[in-house]
Amino acid sequence: MRILTKTSLYYLLVSFVVFLMGGIAYYNIMQGEIYDEVDDQLFTDKENILAFIRRTNELPHVTSGVSETIVVKEITDKNPILESLTDTLIYSSYDEENIPYRRLTFAAYQNGKAYQYSILKSVMDFDDLFESTVFAMGWTFLMLLVGLGAVNYTINKYTWRNFYDTLGKIKRYSLSQYGPLQLKPSETTEFQELNQVLQTMTDKIHNDYLNLKEFTENVSHEIQTPLAIVNSKLELFMQSGNLTPTQAKLLEEMHNSVSRLARLNKSLILLTRIENREFKENEDIPMHEFLAEQTEQLQEIIEMHGLTVEQTIVQPVQVHLNRGLAEILVSNLLINAIQHNQPDGTIKIILDKEKLCIKNSGEELTETGRNLFGRFVSSNKRKDSLGIGLALVSRICTVYNMRPTYRFDNGMHELCINFNHLSR
Amino acid sequence: MRILIIEDEQELNNAIVTYLQQEGYSCDAAYDFKEASLKIADLPYTCVLVDLNLPHGNGLDIVRLLKENTPETGIIIISAKNALDDRITGLEIGADDYLTKPFHLSELNARLKSVIRRRNFNGQKSVKAGVLEVFPDSAEAQVLDKKLTLTKKEYDLLMYFVSNRNRVLTKDSIAEHLWGDHVEALDSLDFVYTHIKNLRRKIMDAGGEDYIQTVYGLGYKFAAE
Repeated sequence: MRILTKTSLYYLLVSFVVFLMGGIAYYNIMQGEIYDEVDDQLFTDKENILAFIRRTNELPHVTSGVSETIVVKEITDKNPILESLTDTLIYSSYDEENIPYRRLTFAAYQNGKAYQYSILKSVMDFDDLFESTVFAMGWTFLMLLVGLGAVNYTINKYTWRNFYDTLGKIKRYSLSQYGPLQLKPSETTEFQELNQVLQTMTDKIHNDYLNLKEFTENVSHEIQTPLAIVNSKLELFMQSGNLTPTQAKLLEEMHNSVSRLARLNKSLILLTRIENREFKENEDIPMHEFLAEQTEQLQEIIEMHGLTVEQTIVQPVQVHLNRGLAEILVSNLLINAIQHNQPDGTIKIILDKEKLCIKNSGEELTETGRNLFGRFVSSNKRKDSLGIGLALVSRICTVYNMRPTYRFDNGMHELCINFNHLSR
Repeated sequence: MRILIIEDEQELNNAIVTYLQQEGYSCDAAYDFKEASLKIADLPYTCVLVDLNLPHGNGLDIVRLLKENTPETGIIIISAKNALDDRITGLEIGADDYLTKPFHLSELNARLKSVIRRRNFNGQKSVKAGVLEVFPDSAEAQVLDKKLTLTKKEYDLLMYFVSNRNRVLTKDSIAEHLWGDHVEALDSLDFVYTHIKNLRRKIMDAGGEDYIQTVYGLGYKFAAE
């Protein structure tokens, strides 16, 4: 949920409560005011009537209307009501409903006779008052809502625009394709700070990344020559005739380790070069021919492992890639399928316009597929594997914006390369 | 046959020189661009091994110089950079082969022999080793006039052995020669054994001797005169 939506919702919730309570308070206060007013008028009338009797010693003419009725009765009761204020409803034939009245009853004496006066005064219909209150509050609330919407829209459009712009840029930010993070200047303090922090942070990360990359590159390249020297000296050593079996064995073990190191180093250099996007010349690669070619090259090894290959080429597919990288991609996928197969297993190759899938039989992995494309991830069983093949595949996929996926289904590992988003 | 080794790393240069001298080549060494260009102007070399990263110059310029002045000289580029562009440029301007450091000396030797063989059109069309004769042009081999039926890998293996006669070849270098970069992935060391077994049997069946000796702890050696 966007932060604006969220704050607006809270704001609305609070407004609702405030309006509700405000409405109730308003209603009660109004009701009290009206009673006060009516009661004041009633008592004024009473005072006037009593004063009139006192002054003239006559009963005043009794007037009567809708809003005010004065009823006079002679009191026969021994204990007349001296003064009482009550509410009452009187049916009005015009409105066809009961109308609330306030009634003041009091006793007045004239020539020793007691009279009971009742003054009735209509008060406002409180149902109507309630309705008007709700109506007024409702309107105000609605207007507030519209205002809030307008303010939010404006804030979103002008103030938060920079924030969303920054967010989009960070989302697309990639270390390996570094262009400095160009953020739009903002007038909001928080966003200014955010941009500043991001700028400093990415600059720092980028510098660290460059240093690390440079270090890796230098190390890899500088290691090549000493390795070549060690390798060649070992070979010369081997050619000397008078080696004891123990020496020979030691020598071979050394030689093997050096060779392994050399290959590892070569792969790492290759990986770095792919990351640096040094392979720029792309051409349309006929993937179907390429697959056939690579399978042919590995045929012998496939047979030696006792594997069978099923190729399903749905249609000839041209993919725009660098030739060298395409070769690395396909051969590493195939080698992976050979390597992690089981005796008498199968390899299925499926190629269509959308994707290339290579499936192979094998045991389910203990780890999830997520790690599969990392460097130096290889199953424990295979000590001689560098575990760098799929890292190369993944790196090439990143360069070309293709998506590699893995799943295990029905005893088959399935690695797919999706061509859909291939950058051209 | 005279070979010039242009490589600025003295130790590596020495190792190559020693190995090739043992093969019976006369070897000269050059350690920088200037020395190299003087030497190639001085003497006609059968083959020149040239490193691309040289002090005071680029190895590719040596290749160009050689192509201009002595086009009959074979050229092998050795480089620490496995840069595809360098490889292509190198081969385009006339180098015969390209090796990436680090390499096996036996591999370098095999490549060198192959380059010399290809250059030396007027010379012999076949390589003899004992009763075995290999024809590189047609990728065939025979024992005592009897043709051997070899798979491509077996032929490559035989050629590698014949090029490195009386040399100890490690399983690792054989595997790399046969399968290139795929080597670490494929249990190739076991396959080397299978291929050698087959090759050995085919040669023996055709009446040849068992030229391929197992050198304990190290690998194999092709012993034939």
